[in-house]
Amino acid sequence: MGDLALAQVVSFLAAPFVASLILTGIHAYLGVHVVERGVIFVDLSLAQIAALGATIALFLPGSTGDPHAPSVYWTSLGFTFIGAAIFSLVRVRRSRIPQEAIIGISYAVASAAAILAMSKSTSQAEHLKDMLVGNIIAVSWGEVAKTAALYGAVGIFHFIFRRQFLAISMQHDEPERTGLNVRLWDFLFYASFGFVVTSSVAIAGVLLVFCYLIVPSVAAMLYAESIGRRLAIGWTMGTVVSAAGVYLSLILDLPTGATIVCTFGVALIVMWFVRPVLKRA
Amino acid sequence: MKKNIAGLMLLVALSFAHVASAAVKVITTTEDLAAIVKEIGGDRVSVEALARGYQDPHFVEAKPSFILKLHSADLLVLVGRELEVAWLPPLITQSRNTKIQPAGMGYLDASLTARILDIPTGQITRAMGDVHPQGNPHYWLEPGNGRRVAQAVQQKLTALSAADAAYFSQRYADFDRRLTEAEKRWRAMIAPYKGLKIVTYHRSWPNFADAFGLDVIGYVEPKPGIPPSPAHTLALIEQMKRQNIKIILVEPYFDLKTPNAIARDTGAQVLVMPPSVGGVKEVTNYFQLFDYDLNLLVSAIKQSGA
Repeated sequence: MGDLALAQVVSFLAAPFVASLILTGIHAYLGVHVVERGVIFVDLSLAQIAALGATIALFLPGSTGDPHAPSVYWTSLGFTFIGAAIFSLVRVRRSRIPQEAIIGISYAVASAAAILAMSKSTSQAEHLKDMLVGNIIAVSWGEVAKTAALYGAVGIFHFIFRRQFLAISMQHDEPERTGLNVRLWDFLFYASFGFVVTSSVAIAGVLLVFCYLIVPSVAAMLYAESIGRRLAIGWTMGTVVSAAGVYLSLILDLPTGATIVCTFGVALIVMWFVRPVLKRA
Repeated sequence: MKKNIAGLMLLVALSFAHVASAAVKVITTTEDLAAIVKEIGGDRVSVEALARGYQDPHFVEAKPSFILKLHSADLLVLVGRELEVAWLPPLITQSRNTKIQPAGMGYLDASLTARILDIPTGQITRAMGDVHPQGNPHYWLEPGNGRRVAQAVQQKLTALSAADAAYFSQRYADFDRRLTEAEKRWRAMIAPYKGLKIVTYHRSWPNFADAFGLDVIGYVEPKPGIPPSPAHTLALIEQMKRQNIKIILVEPYFDLKTPNAIARDTGAQVLVMPPSVGGVKEVTNYFQLFDYDLNLLVSAIKQSGA
């Protein structure tokens, strides 16, 4: 990049970097819930259900064929809520069928249904898949501001009702005895979660969102027990890895999203090997 | 003394920077367009393509350098007709370069003056299946369109750098002459096989087929990105047997499993044919693209005895 001043380079990567910090903020928190619940692939499943919604929206009467039309967004959000309803309904205590199985089935069926829908659409099919999956390098400040506002609202909602949300995620039998409406809170959890994941996938892509959700949370579990500490470790790790990933993608000129994902993998391995050393010391 | 040397180096650096900035900085989306810009711009432009010729131009993974290159570009030349719609528009916005925005002086949609095929006429209905509302974007595979694009590039470069007008015009005339000669040679190569029926994987070759008298009777991929249904594949195999079709053209970035299966059943040959400059190492300019593809095709025809 030779003749470009450093300040200029930084100014281009500022928006993707701030976006990655916002992703870290909300996903490291939601990741704690997801890992505790043991529903690791729920985000992939909800993202796929949202994509199916967007594909079907292009069929509805009045569709202009523009994947960025508001009607497409609202249909895909509606599908996300249907997915959330399904996941909250299938959670049965001491059920023989693991919830992860239902999540996996939803993923497979939603993906296949989207392929069927695309095979019947008139145009745009070849671009649709790509348009639903964002690229973090191309994120604009407008999108960053909108996402920050949305996630801030979801974060406040979760903070106000933290007692209920933590209760249904952390203790598996207790909440029902204390008279908490588990189905309602489960639905609210999956609905707000689906809302966040759908928006995140649109700006950062599926792989990156999955990493922001799971890796900080798992890394934190290596070092801490309490929720507060796990969040602190997860947020720190997410921030450091985002910065390192964006920097590496710049100097090595590699696709930014995939570079951050691999940096997450390397960071987790390093943290894994450092842990016994620290424990011994 | 140290200060003086530093000052001198700065001066040298600045004067180099001046010389460098005198050349028009051109960024193209594909290597085909870069090759044509090079023909016209010569040493008065610097040109770089974003996508490599062996990549599917519909899907290109953006890298940080793309935005930096677009930021400092004087001219962006793109294929258009929605070919780059999945990845280019956000990069143009993010480049914060007013020159190359769609309304700017430094934005050239090369398809605007090209001869575009497959443009649907009248109302588009669902019954028509997959349709590009703006026509087929693989138009550079027709030499006549190479000439039209070259002319559009010449006019744009002249508008951006009026002092070099004579240079660009002379280079265009030279390109035009060499292309006309090459076209004669290419037509002669393929003339004995005029009207040859072929099958292609993707709808990349309508202009190529039209220019060289080939007849594309079917596609392995019924719709872009959608796996073929058994009924479609069986119907295609039937048709190929009935019409004795021995050639299947596949772009280098598609999976060969289905084409190979069809070839086993029909005794046809699968030809992996680059649709772009840079698609294989040997093809580094616009002329070599046609030389390479036509040689490949003709030797396959001779082998199959079709």
